[in-house]
Amino acid sequence: MVDFGRVQKELQECSRDMEASGIKIAPVSDNLVHLSGTIPGPIGTPYEGGTFHLDIKLPDGYPFEPPKMHFVTKVWHPNISSQSGAICLDILKDQWSPALTLKTALLSVQALLSAPEPDDPQDAVVAQQYLRDYQTFQGTARYWTESFAKTSSLGVEEKVQKLMEMGFPESLVRSALEAVGGDENMALEKLCSS
Amino acid sequence: MQNHEESGASCEFENWGNFGDEDIMNQQSEIRAEEAQKVPFVADKFQKRCAAVPEPLSALASEYQSGSPILLEKIKMLGEQYAAIRRTRGDGNCFFRSFMFSYLEHILESQDRAEVDRVKANVEECRKTLQSLGYADFTFEDFFALIVVTIIFPKFVIDLSLASELAFLGSYSLSSWKAFFKEMNPPLEVEISQYLTMVSEFINLNVSFCIHILSPDTFGWSVVMFFRFVTSGEIRKRSEFFEPFVLGLTNATVEQFCKSSVEPMGEESDHVHITALSDALSVPIRVVYLDRSSCDTAGVSVNHHDFIPSGNLPKAASGSTEAISPFITLLYRPGHYDILYPK
Repeated sequence: MVDFGRVQKELQECSRDMEASGIKIAPVSDNLVHLSGTIPGPIGTPYEGGTFHLDIKLPDGYPFEPPKMHFVTKVWHPNISSQSGAICLDILKDQWSPALTLKTALLSVQALLSAPEPDDPQDAVVAQQYLRDYQTFQGTARYWTESFAKTSSLGVEEKVQKLMEMGFPESLVRSALEAVGGDENMALEKLCSS
Repeated sequence: MQNHEESGASCEFENWGNFGDEDIMNQQSEIRAEEAQKVPFVADKFQKRCAAVPEPLSALASEYQSGSPILLEKIKMLGEQYAAIRRTRGDGNCFFRSFMFSYLEHILESQDRAEVDRVKANVEECRKTLQSLGYADFTFEDFFALIVVTIIFPKFVIDLSLASELAFLGSYSLSSWKAFFKEMNPPLEVEISQYLTMVSEFINLNVSFCIHILSPDTFGWSVVMFFRFVTSGEIRKRSEFFEPFVLGLTNATVEQFCKSSVEPMGEESDHVHITALSDALSVPIRVVYLDRSSCDTAGVSVNHHDFIPSGNLPKAASGSTEAISPFITLLYRPGHYDILYPK
């Protein structure tokens, strides 16, 4: 059983200094076991200007067991799977402690965006590129940020409009956007593959 | 976890690619759970897998029957001073569990109200330390409330931790607890519901939450976490003092050390942890070392080290430290702590 009293306090504390930290946590379900987190891309990195969404699930043993987090927004980073969004970070694994919180965990994820550790990669392809061709890595990471982490700034109607202009019927466009959580590119992929 | 099937990982890494972090973590926790089941958190006399516990030291000797003669000799010497050993689970938290159990047993036997008041005051100090170090209140307040209750009602906790291995894990209903406690032999003196009401009044939470927090698993983790907080707080508060010791153990700063070797569950304790906990709570601890080291000169002897708290000692008079004898004695074998009972 998750310690819900604590989760509630965590959410309150996080929303109190949202302005300063830029970190948001909101419940997805009513029971506080499933949450969504948002972190701004750190300034001075290829992720600057992007808004990154994470899916957070709390295991039964929380806060004694670490929260399960992965990126929903696609990210090009050595320690984050470009396919699944899985994160390689010690505090989300054996270095977790109940002294940490969801907010400090998200801050650590944000710090990971600033300071990749290519020697302990989650995504071998990205890590290789980071080590062998840093310029291309930066370019790709920036491009992914532009394509995936900024689309949400467009209003839904604009996205619907853009996709309809490509020749898809409105009803399909709307259901596709809804299915992928409003990500325009993923909606396009879905429309093309169906 | 099949992230990179099509991303062209070379053949030799194919299996590794499919074997994700989560699989490794699951496998580790499975191994840990399997190992852990061999020894309960704190061994109890109701345990069928163990003989009557505390076990006589001869049980320890039989473990090393075909082992090093130095160890056998040392166990024999231990037998002159100590009557029994109580084993704890080897999951990285054995030092904290041994300490807690031994301390509570002491309070129970001595009925020393002054000691209880003293430690309560120290616990309050530790709470302030954590606050001043910037820890969020909600990360530690429940553990601290629980520990104060624990110190006031040690009988309850010892019963509970003895019972923990037999309890039906995962069932937190009051009725199942009652049924379970009735079966205990000897039966508990006080109704479990009475305890829970007392506790719930104290921490101002509802009973179902208390049943949860006091359920064997959660309780054990909460106690361990309390001590990890106290230890970490003390090390950080006196970082200048602890820095050289930390550097001797790892290549980390004090802050890194606390984050990576004190606060995570399952990180083993070393002399830095013991010194800090002993100082923070002002409770002296004796550690007896059972390893293969031996003195060249006069044959074998069993080493021990007394951790004597630096600050406000129970019976004042600094300078006459030899007068203080620890009432907690732990047996250290490389990587593990158990509880020793003097004769």
